[in-house]
Amino acid sequence: MNLQADSNKQLIQQRLNLFYVPIIAVAALLAVRLWQLQIINGAEYTVLAEKNRIRTIQVVAPRGTITDRNGTPLVENRPSYNILLYRESVANIEATAAFVTAKLGVSPEDFSAILGRNKATPLFHPIVIKEDVGIDDISVVESHRQEHPELQLDQEPRRLYRYGAVGAHVVGYVSEVSADELAKGVFPGARVGSLVGKFGVERTYNDKLTGDDGSRVVLVDSLGREVGLVEEVDSIIGDNLQLTLDLDLQTTAESLLEGKVGAIVAMDPRNGEILALASSPSFDPNSFSTRISPEAWNQLVNDPNRPLQNRAIQNAYPPGSVFKVIMAEAGLDEGLVDESTRVYCRGSAFFYNREFHCAAKNGHGFVGIEDAVARSCNIFFYELGRRLGISRIAEHAQALGLGERTGIDLPGERSGVMPSPEWKQRARGAKWYVGETISVSIGQGAVTTTPIQILRAVGCIASGGLLTTPHVLLRAEGGRDESQSRLEKSVAIEPETTNKIRAGMWQSVNNWGTGHGASIPGADICGKTGTVQIIGAEREKELNGNLPALEDHSWFVGFATRDNPEIAVVAFVEHGGKGGIAAAPLAREIFRLHFARKQSPVLITKAAPAGSGDRP
Amino acid sequence: MKVNQRLMLSFDWACLLALLGLAGTGLLAIWSTTVGTGPNSYLGRQMIYLCVALVAFLILLYFDYHLYSDYVILLYLSGVALLALVLLIGRTVHNNKSWINLGGMAFQPSEVVKIVVIVALAKYFSESDRENLELRELVIGGLIVLLPMILVILQGDLGTAITFVPIYAALSFMGGLRRKHIVVFLLAGAIAIPAGWLMLKDYQKSRIQTVFDPSNDPRHVGYQTIQSKIAVGSGRFLGKGFRQGSQGQLGFLPARHTDFVFASWAEERGFAGSAAVLGLFILVALRLLKGAREAKDKVGAMICVGVLALFWFHVTINMGMALGLFPIAGIPLPFVSAGGSSLISSFAAMGICMNIRMRRYVN
Repeated sequence: MNLQADSNKQLIQQRLNLFYVPIIAVAALLAVRLWQLQIINGAEYTVLAEKNRIRTIQVVAPRGTITDRNGTPLVENRPSYNILLYRESVANIEATAAFVTAKLGVSPEDFSAILGRNKATPLFHPIVIKEDVGIDDISVVESHRQEHPELQLDQEPRRLYRYGAVGAHVVGYVSEVSADELAKGVFPGARVGSLVGKFGVERTYNDKLTGDDGSRVVLVDSLGREVGLVEEVDSIIGDNLQLTLDLDLQTTAESLLEGKVGAIVAMDPRNGEILALASSPSFDPNSFSTRISPEAWNQLVNDPNRPLQNRAIQNAYPPGSVFKVIMAEAGLDEGLVDESTRVYCRGSAFFYNREFHCAAKNGHGFVGIEDAVARSCNIFFYELGRRLGISRIAEHAQALGLGERTGIDLPGERSGVMPSPEWKQRARGAKWYVGETISVSIGQGAVTTTPIQILRAVGCIASGGLLTTPHVLLRAEGGRDESQSRLEKSVAIEPETTNKIRAGMWQSVNNWGTGHGASIPGADICGKTGTVQIIGAEREKELNGNLPALEDHSWFVGFATRDNPEIAVVAFVEHGGKGGIAAAPLAREIFRLHFARKQSPVLITKAAPAGSGDRP
Repeated sequence: MKVNQRLMLSFDWACLLALLGLAGTGLLAIWSTTVGTGPNSYLGRQMIYLCVALVAFLILLYFDYHLYSDYVILLYLSGVALLALVLLIGRTVHNNKSWINLGGMAFQPSEVVKIVVIVALAKYFSESDRENLELRELVIGGLIVLLPMILVILQGDLGTAITFVPIYAALSFMGGLRRKHIVVFLLAGAIAIPAGWLMLKDYQKSRIQTVFDPSNDPRHVGYQTIQSKIAVGSGRFLGKGFRQGSQGQLGFLPARHTDFVFASWAEERGFAGSAAVLGLFILVALRLLKGAREAKDKVGAMICVGVLALFWFHVTINMGMALGLFPIAGIPLPFVSAGGSSLISSFAAMGICMNIRMRRYVN
């Protein structure tokens, strides 16, 4: 028994010895693995752990505010909330989609479109799935933070255009940067989803208005919930801008154009500061401050009246009789007409074997230069045009800035056309016919101008030769005074020329001329009307009716006072009819307000500011 | 009661210190990862469990182990009955119906039954005085293990069920295996593993699959393996410090105070701390082996070997899981993981083994 026990004992010891193998093997395996993970690859895993817990959130900087020349805020920022999707925190995209569709009212198509659009966006970069949400959506997201930590609220400053459509064409709007703009680098520093200035001052001065984005580096838990703040870099608001606009004048200009299609611009001819610039119809830029919904956008784009177009600078129209002011300057400075020059108007005249008509069927009789301007006699200017020839007309018109952009600090300006034989050869490949010169003499034919060009040119003549660069920016906060650096050209205009044209335009308004509609007793307003025929007189007869769309375009351009021009105004109404009737009274109201303001600086217009409290 | 002076001298104080060191490690890790979870905290509960475990340890240390090895048939039958009862009235936690309510405390009878099975199998195999076990003995021994094992599988707790395998393997090896029986076992294993694969639940399959490619499914099963490796690796040499482990503190690490407690520890204490814990485990394993070698009789040696097999299997699988070497299985780290059943049964098992070692010179 003992012997057997002994041999058994030996056997047991032998078998027990084998158990060292798994103990040592496993111990070695685990020790090596620990060394590998913690010592050899420790740095890599440290980076991974940091990535896990650290999330950097961009804090969008508010854009600079915009005020009018008196410091009245036109554009400010309001807080708004967007719903962001953190795709790296998505556990189940179907569940997220179902939730977003059912509870947040984002259609499945929109949701997949948003995801598709952001395919190239890095996963850690959150994407906006619904913006500027109301309190209902905020509470839905807040109350489902446990189930849907991938959805988070993000506060973003949003543009508030206090006066809505008032000044919309100057101020412009912001919207989401497009993929194309990003690819081309149009907006330096913009990222996917950035709101950038697309129009107006928002566009021109986008770089100034854009602030420096800040960031929040936060600690998140495994569900992506913020549990602590590591570092915070405050965002810096962009530069605040002060515009040359006067809110009162602007509001008045907008209301004068209500129901019409056209533009009114008021400018200080001494320095080119735009006091008011209205284009009608207008639009509410607040509707763009979100990444605008396609329906609203399509509606604006497809509106036949094209509300997004700034008619003061983006549309070129035949100037009609307002061009006669430029003709008068050319004739006087070329010495082709003077005080004693008289032309007999009998209502029509033959030039180059073709009959041309005057607006006065029975004729004006003998007219001198001042009368011709005041009563807008076509025959006088036909004759003047014949004497000048197209080259000299074009030379003077171009010196006054016609046919080229004025350089106003708003995007999308058109240059219009100041025709010349060279231009015709180049653009149309055809020879100039002398008959065309006669048409150009009264602002018809191939000549087209934007309202701002006419205003600038007339302002230049009125001020005795100062060709300014129209502008809407008075100063940018922190920036130097821009007025010093603006291009101002001097055009050689004889003082006597200026006096004669001032006198003619004064008579037009104040002495029962065509511009009488702009007269205010006691105010020395000078002006010139224009009525642009859309179709020939014969064709009109054939139609035997006056379809409103075929009414003439109406112009009025003027300044005040006669001896000391401090404000110049152009009013243009598409298909408005006679310039003296449709356009001159609009300008009159601008002058009236301007002079009333000079006497009492109290705000006269009570433009209702858009409230900021109607959205969360 | 008077404690025999001789027994006190033979008591393995170093091993007890190692066990207390491991339990203390567990308390620290649990404290660090669960602080602020309320008054009825994991730490407080774990301390109560530790007290209960030490009482069980002392009781099992006090009585001669022959007392329970001689009557093990009764313990075994009541253990099996308890498992059957759990199947009927047990609670389901994480897919497992292996918990039972004991006076407001959730308890896993399978943890205790494992020790009973060790004693029972050790007793049965030690009664054979031949060089090698007969086939009949191997089969009966297998049935002793299989009966509770099947009950545990039925509870759905595959991790615990698998721990019966190393117990049987180690004890049958100790009892003596003929070459042909080894061949039969290997063949049976070769058949059982694919068959077992088919029986696995989907979540269990994916757990195994993702060990081989953890990045395959980062948000689900492999996610846990990756996060555990990140936790361990980012601990580097000295660790991030108490409550500074972002992986554990911010919830990236799953089951950070229970099954993955070692990863939490490794993150906050670094290579130094985790190597120290590994060292304590190696020490305990070597003491168990020494206990088996010095045991006064065969049944004592067999019990020590069974406990060693169970203990070392737990350590291997749990730490291997935390280090991304093995599939994720719900197997706690003995003495360290939060949880009463594991702590109490681990100390109980050590009580028995240290009892055996203590009485090595007693006749």
